[in-house]
Amino acid sequence: MNRDRKEKVLPVFLCVDPRLAMNRSRPLTRLTQKRDCPGNRSLTVAAQNAHRSRDRKGAVGAVVGERSFILGNQAGPSTIRFAATLLIVGALFFPASAATRPRYGGTLRVEMRASIETADPPQLGPGMPDLAPAFSITRWEAGRRAVFAADENAPGGRPFLDAVEVEMARSPRDQAIDLDVGKADLIEIPPVEARRQPASRRTWSSQPVRVLLLLFGARMDDARAREALTLAVDRTAIFNVLLQRQGEISGALLPQWLSGYAFAFNAASDAARARALAASLPAQARSFSIGVEEAALRPIAERIALNARDAGLAVTLVPQASAADVRLLEVRIGSADPAHALAGMAAALGLPAPPRAESPDALYNAERSLLDGFRVVPLFHLADVYGVAARVRGAPGISPLGEWRLENVWLEGGRP
Amino acid sequence: MTFRTRLLLVFTLTVVASVGMVEWLVTRATRDAFERMERQRADALVAQFQREFDARGREIVRAIRNIAQSDAAVSVAISADDSAYYNEASAMARAHGLGLLELAGGDGAIISSAEWPVRFGYVEEWLAAPTGWKPGTAFLRREELPDGFTLALVAVETVDAGGRQLFVAGGQQLDQDFLATLVLPAGMRVLLYRNLEPEFAPHLLAGAAAGAQEFQPLIERVIRDRRPQVATLGSGSAAETIHALPLAGVENNLLAVLVIASSRRELVELENSLGRTGAWVAAGAILTGMLMAVWATARVTRPVRRLAASAGQVAAGNWNTTVEVTSRDEIGQLAQAFNGMTHELVEQRERLLQTERVAAWRELARRLAHELKNPLFPLQITVENMQRARESHPQEFDEVFREGSRTLLAELANLKQIIARFSDFAKMPAPEMQPVNLNTLVAETMKLFEAQFVRARVTARLDLEPALPIVSADPEQITRALRNLVLNAIDAMPEGGTLTARTTQQGAGARIEISDSGKGLSPEECERLFTPYYTTKTHGTGLGLAIVQSVISDHHGRISVESQPGKGTTFRIDLG
Repeated sequence: MNRDRKEKVLPVFLCVDPRLAMNRSRPLTRLTQKRDCPGNRSLTVAAQNAHRSRDRKGAVGAVVGERSFILGNQAGPSTIRFAATLLIVGALFFPASAATRPRYGGTLRVEMRASIETADPPQLGPGMPDLAPAFSITRWEAGRRAVFAADENAPGGRPFLDAVEVEMARSPRDQAIDLDVGKADLIEIPPVEARRQPASRRTWSSQPVRVLLLLFGARMDDARAREALTLAVDRTAIFNVLLQRQGEISGALLPQWLSGYAFAFNAASDAARARALAASLPAQARSFSIGVEEAALRPIAERIALNARDAGLAVTLVPQASAADVRLLEVRIGSADPAHALAGMAAALGLPAPPRAESPDALYNAERSLLDGFRVVPLFHLADVYGVAARVRGAPGISPLGEWRLENVWLEGGRP
Repeated sequence: MTFRTRLLLVFTLTVVASVGMVEWLVTRATRDAFERMERQRADALVAQFQREFDARGREIVRAIRNIAQSDAAVSVAISADDSAYYNEASAMARAHGLGLLELAGGDGAIISSAEWPVRFGYVEEWLAAPTGWKPGTAFLRREELPDGFTLALVAVETVDAGGRQLFVAGGQQLDQDFLATLVLPAGMRVLLYRNLEPEFAPHLLAGAAAGAQEFQPLIERVIRDRRPQVATLGSGSAAETIHALPLAGVENNLLAVLVIASSRRELVELENSLGRTGAWVAAGAILTGMLMAVWATARVTRPVRRLAASAGQVAAGNWNTTVEVTSRDEIGQLAQAFNGMTHELVEQRERLLQTERVAAWRELARRLAHELKNPLFPLQITVENMQRARESHPQEFDEVFREGSRTLLAELANLKQIIARFSDFAKMPAPEMQPVNLNTLVAETMKLFEAQFVRARVTARLDLEPALPIVSADPEQITRALRNLVLNAIDAMPEGGTLTARTTQQGAGARIEISDSGKGLSPEECERLFTPYYTTKTHGTGLGLAIVQSVISDHHGRISVESQPGKGTTFRIDLG
């Protein structure tokens, strides 16, 4: 990696998503996206601690604090320091037509693949916990169904929806059918299905916030074996076929949009080097198991095992991921603050806590130190993608971090 | 072993051997017939399997062709982005009932694999190879799956569209499920050994729930020789006739061994049934044969046994025994001869008795004449002397008369004694048995003769066994016998000598020996010694030893004599 960094100032485009401006006073969490700002530099900005203001007239205002950004290309990262206070006062007003006028009432039917079997609704993590405080739980059937009702006294005002009904344990196929026949309003779309969606289907997508990675257990104490497997994995093939080119190939924990330097971590395979490393291993070190907790990730694990076999490693898939030598995991980015996100991931993976990074360099070094030794091998960064029914209106119901933001969503046919 | 037993044994063995031979012939003929039938069934099954195999091959070819001709396959072929179709093969395989299906590009790179979906991008070089397979035919192939290799019946078709080529390769695994679909006759099963590893591996034998190892030698032989083999495995009703056939792939590599196992249960049960039936029949036949043999041997040996019994009676002295003649065969002739023989024996005995009786009367007359003549001659002389003296010398008559009277009385006494002896011999009383100590009798008898011993210059010696057992006897008759023997011994030593009386124990009985040191007897004399009226002395009636033998015989004892000329004579009496 080219560690020769130089500071330079680049012009930064901050494009405001018109939909954000049209919506009612939601946090200004996504200022720009490449696809929203055609012709400009690839720049992703995440805003944290945005101060939001809201009024009944639909004015939007946000203050974005001081931020630093790292830009770069394949030659290496370049750091720019962008210190500014952005104040966007609700200057962007669009005339609201009848079709876009918010309406009250209705129940949003959400379907999800997970089956949460806890006695009480989850309080942490993405999804249902994000509904609070705008919605409060009124019915909980563990593993099957949850109903959230709108809170009249929610801090941000009463949501447009009367209720959100969540159906759990629905397979992707059933979800797709339910969406097609109008039995569901919001469904999850796995990456492999993302490209197969009809062109007319609306989707909501987060930033790549799910990190797919390999976590080696304590038994894998030979770094050569870990490196051999890492180099054997053909991420491109998996990305192209199994992930249907959804998300990003990455060798970094933090995604590019959050850290800006993820491209600097090597994600290419090297079969020859992998074979050489495997050949140098003792026989017992060439055999290990890989476990995967989510059934949806199993094809990826199988492909990794196949790549490993080509390198001379005998990798067997085991159903009990906790007992496996290597685990294929998915970890979520829990914060838009890269340092917090990195610390959260390290904690989730059982890695040493990285030092608090005050600068991009420090953050990069902290992540690099976490990844040295191949205990953790990031593979892909994936986004949360939801299919949305046509009657669902309003702002995207998920944040760039994949949080549910359904308080600004309304249903067609409701009360004006 | 009796003649009847031997005859019975011969008859029985003959019956058993005959029945066993028949049983063996029947069993062997049945087994041969069953074996022929079994071979025909196995051949039929092999042919059926081959037809089934070919039919499955045609089904696979048809399914692959349908897939290749489908719009979906054409879409895959012309698509510039293969990644969108990586799941396509699974759906196609399900729709066409195939267990294996791969869609591969013109270079052989897998676009989609039903059996191993994540294997996309890998190149199947055999598909792109110019030789090895032909479209429209099914063939065996060693296929790799995530969990190892398998054997499959596959077919390949190509799709050419938009200047691109797509290989559609698929089929069915030849495994337990495949074998389960085969329709087999009862008592038969099909196993398939997939020759996927260098060494025999039991798990590669599909269709064998257990006991795969027992097929190992046969399968290895087929693999080595590449020729069909036949063997019998197991024993009893669990035995099976195994036909093992090699199955080759397109490159003539031996990929599988088809094992057709045909149960021998029916044969074994048939054999058992035959065996049981045969055993019952044999037992019945043997029993009947034995009864017949018993009857026949009894019938055959009855005259012989009668002859034997009659011969035994003849041997026992019953010479009047005759045998009933019941047939005219050799046995009848033998019986007639036996009867003739016994009849002749009886007649000869009668003649002999008659002769002996006449001889005895003559001997008796001779003896009587001799014994009576001796005293009569002095009587005649004395009477004539007395007559002559009265006529010629009357003055001396008185003296002659006195002397003559003494002589006459003496001779008359002699006559009386002779007559008394004959009378005694004629009237021997039955012994009155009582416990007797023979030592006492011997000692008393010897004491009676002490004066005569002195006169005859005979030295008497007693040698008595102190522990002599008491025997049952008539003491008077035994004493009379002993006296006779002692008198004979004294007479045998006119010049004097030694007379020894000895008693010894003989088992539970006792023996008395009276020995003299006289001149002894010749063997001929010894033989005739106990004959009545036979004597070697110039005086005596010849009845003494006859009386002794009669007494001892009445006591169920035994008397014998041992003598050598010049060395004396010993008489032995054994009493029990």
